[in-house]
Amino acid sequence: MKLIKNTMKPITQFFALTFTILMLNSCSTDDDDSSISLPDAPNFEVPTSYTFERSGQSTVNFPGQTQRILMGEELINAFLDFNDTALEETLANMFANENAPFQNQELNASSRQIRNTLADSEDFFLNNNAEAAILRAQFDSYISNQATIVQPNINTAASPGQAGQIADGTNTRYVSGQGLEFNQLFTKGLVGGLMLDQIVNNYVSASLLDAGDNRETNDNQVPRNANGTDTQMEHNWDEAYGYLYGVSPNQATPNTTIGDDDNFLNRYTGLVDRDPDFNGIANDIFQAFLTGRAAISQSQYEIRDAQAEIIRERLSTVIAIRAVFYLQQGRSALELPTPDFGAAFHDISEGLGFIVSLQFTRQPNSTQPYFTRSEVDTFIDMVLGDGNNGLWDVTPQTLNTVSEAIASPFNFTVSQAGDSN
Amino acid sequence: MKTFFNILICSFIILGCSSSGSNSDDDVSTNNGSDNISSGTTFQRSELLANWSDNIIIPAYQSLTEALDNLNTSFVLFSNDTSESNLVALRTAWIEAYFVWQRVSMFEIGPAENIDYRLNMNIFPADTAQINANVNIGNADLSLPSNRDAKGFPALDYLLNGLADTDASIVARFTSATDGGNLLNYTERLILDMQSLTNQVLTQWTGVFRDQFVANDGSSSTASVDRYINDYIFYYERFFRAGKVGIPAGVFSGSTRPQNLEALHIGTLSNDLFFEALDAIQDFFNGVAFNTSSNGIGLDDYLNSTNNNELTTLINSQYNTARNAFLGLNSFQVELENTVPTSLLEAYDEIQRVIPLIKVDMLSALNINVDFQDADGD
Repeated sequence: MKLIKNTMKPITQFFALTFTILMLNSCSTDDDDSSISLPDAPNFEVPTSYTFERSGQSTVNFPGQTQRILMGEELINAFLDFNDTALEETLANMFANENAPFQNQELNASSRQIRNTLADSEDFFLNNNAEAAILRAQFDSYISNQATIVQPNINTAASPGQAGQIADGTNTRYVSGQGLEFNQLFTKGLVGGLMLDQIVNNYVSASLLDAGDNRETNDNQVPRNANGTDTQMEHNWDEAYGYLYGVSPNQATPNTTIGDDDNFLNRYTGLVDRDPDFNGIANDIFQAFLTGRAAISQSQYEIRDAQAEIIRERLSTVIAIRAVFYLQQGRSALELPTPDFGAAFHDISEGLGFIVSLQFTRQPNSTQPYFTRSEVDTFIDMVLGDGNNGLWDVTPQTLNTVSEAIASPFNFTVSQAGDSN
Repeated sequence: MKTFFNILICSFIILGCSSSGSNSDDDVSTNNGSDNISSGTTFQRSELLANWSDNIIIPAYQSLTEALDNLNTSFVLFSNDTSESNLVALRTAWIEAYFVWQRVSMFEIGPAENIDYRLNMNIFPADTAQINANVNIGNADLSLPSNRDAKGFPALDYLLNGLADTDASIVARFTSATDGGNLLNYTERLILDMQSLTNQVLTQWTGVFRDQFVANDGSSSTASVDRYINDYIFYYERFFRAGKVGIPAGVFSGSTRPQNLEALHIGTLSNDLFFEALDAIQDFFNGVAFNTSSNGIGLDDYLNSTNNNELTTLINSQYNTARNAFLGLNSFQVELENTVPTSLLEAYDEIQRVIPLIKVDMLSALNINVDFQDADGD
């Protein structure tokens, strides 16, 4: 088969490339490459693990991503530290890495932070600073609400309109008068606003990968600085990789522990992969990262860009599946003979966090998210709008309507996403 | 008491009569399938429900109410005369109530489900830091979900058995000038809370709920039999299998967790409670009336009515195998001193083997769907 440049529509091109790469992979054990006819990449090779070296030295590193994930972990834990009399200040400091707020001293010493990286991707926010500021303020409000609405009422039983605690099985959840858990909104919103956005709209984007003289320096294997041997383009791709696998104990073969490594994108990619309906998605994603990185090191930019589209589509799907999953779990809890409000509020709060994340998804071969901020805000308004008291009043019908709307542009059904089997 | 049972028996008979004349929706025909032996008998779900209610569930709640009353009486004696002998008597009353609890815990339906009764009575391990904080506060709100692991049987285990190493030292804690009064006060509040919760459940069962439960004798997913069999299996999996053995044995975590034993602070009691719970589970399966050997209509009869006598035998046999496997063990504490508690894990496998029999084979034979699934973890 032949690749005919610029005559196919993007989507056709995408499939043609994918198909070619699949063929390449399937034939990669052959020593002679004569059976493969890919004019641009006759010798393209993909390793089996994310291990790339030059002059005997690894070219892979992503400390900034690992650090931000670890900052996020400390931050979401601190959300429930109600003994902290300066809770809002503590959380805000962790969000922006100010005043050495972390237990882990390495994080305090770092110049990096979460807040200014949230909603900060090249493709979505470079020329959209107003929206970025609004989104960061939205996350600020989750912090201030936790301190001003929830914390003062932790020893009160929650009821419609009254913030407080509510049982969820053996767990105790702390919610607003609308039944919202702000720590869940923050955590699941961060999965999209930080990790996903930085991957699909930033580090795997040609706009960033090909910026300045990146192609030239990559083709000539010019190190990006004196400390290493990796090129700027390689490093960008690795930074995308780090937002998903940055705290994995096996960073070259991360699928061995996927789902158990963090409480963000790694966690939920792994959980989606454990649902038999979606088993294999984690492998698709890893293979795309691996192939794309190999493509960069071998200056195969079309292959690289095809992998970026796979990553966009698959990771966006993870977010959407999780949003639907939690809305459906919440619906089930509300439909019990005795509605389990505590379980439902927890699930739906998680679902709303993933809905916040939907605006950072990316449709492949486009510059668009699957859902805009305004569409996301409409979903949230619908879930909170069945009565005066938010989740206390939400109906199973509304949860189904929103679930269907989220699933519709994707290749899965509400019932596939709605449970873990 | 006698009068009460007479009333129960009467209502049982009346109900039995009335349902036999009711329409066929209430009956579950057994001569279905191609290979039926045309026995022509029908199984009355209402009779099953009546036996459960009148001879098992309500008597168990009544017995627990009495045991908690005795516990409270013992506490008053201990409070008035805080001596070692009164501590021993109080502990004995607590143990007796804890045994009865093993025959009550599985009935988390209706009135109990509405108030999360089980989680208010027996979350273990207890949160000792929370208990100590509550002791100092004095008036902690025990109805808050965050206090569920600071009350009930496990909290009393800590207060009566875990405050110090010897009875003399425990008594010294209760008589200390600094917090002895607070400890007595908190112990009393825990007992009153357990009495109040149990009374709420029992009052509803002996009020309107019993008749509602028995009248809901259809075979849909919301019918009493379908719902309760699911609750029974859920209890078996989650609270009996995992709670009493699997979690401490490290089945789910990879390493042992002796701190998660049900009666953490008192010798071999965890084993004894396990056996009582297993007996309760098997007795319920066979429809045995509470505290008797009188075998009434149970799941065994229901299975037999659908020509599944072999499955009935298999289930009873596996319950017996599991019991025998545990009879050969040392106390759970001793078994858990092994890094890999092999004998305990082998015994655990025998209680695990019940699950496909009751959750797959029995539900399939009775045409009942599972209405719960394993939680996702967060």
